[in-house]
Amino acid sequence: MPTVLEPVTKPIIKKRHESDDDLAPTFYVICWNDPVNLMVYVTHVFIKIFGWNKEKAEKHMMEVHEKGKSVLVREGAEKAEFYVHQLQNYKLEATMEPAE
Amino acid sequence: MKLVKESKGVWQYHLAQNEADVLVGLLKKFPFTKIDAVKISKTDKHPKAREREKLLNESLAEHRKELKKLALDLIRPDKLKLEEKGLLMTLSSENRETMLQILNDIRVGSWRVLGEPDDLHTNTPQTSAKDLAYRSLMDLAGYFECGLLTTES
Repeated sequence: MPTVLEPVTKPIIKKRHESDDDLAPTFYVICWNDPVNLMVYVTHVFIKIFGWNKEKAEKHMMEVHEKGKSVLVREGAEKAEFYVHQLQNYKLEATMEPAE
Repeated sequence: MKLVKESKGVWQYHLAQNEADVLVGLLKKFPFTKIDAVKISKTDKHPKAREREKLLNESLAEHRKELKKLALDLIRPDKLKLEEKGLLMTLSSENRETMLQILNDIRVGSWRVLGEPDDLHTNTPQTSAKDLAYRSLMDLAGYFECGLLTTES
């Protein structure tokens, strides 16, 4: 019985590159301006949700107030969604917009 | 409404009797407005965005139900104690956040009922009684929000 040489095939192992995570869509969490939310309240909410210091929270609050919106963070879908839920619980108008 | 002291996550505020009456009234009657649907994105057209939006609105409806329950908890006798010339309100940090969320729900909800005006303060002879009531609710909620967020005693 002739021996049949079978081709040696190496299993294809898909390497998990660090860039796999980079390919997952990311989102900007944006807070939009309105005339009803008090400035001191918006600053408080940013500190509470993101754990920022007062200076950073006030910077973003002023950006919302003066420019109409502020990009608060850039995150993967799950975390961006979490932040939007948190901000909306405080009745701030927050959305998640695709980063690309 | 004035912060008396804050220590180890416990906040104490002094309220005049008329302030306490108004605040208790707001909390007892919460919510004052229908819950509005919100958008999760202004640009995302992906079907997943619609799912996320549905989930967000369901979650906000549940959250409001929870706030309604908690509102009554905030006016329990152990949180509001009579003292000379008013009441002493004692809140944990968590209670304080809950109260802020309830008050801002009242404020933003009233503003939406009013048609989301840019000018929050001008009343005219044409302003209806209903609109005046919602403007008052908005102002009162804002007044107590500022009181809660005052850090100086």
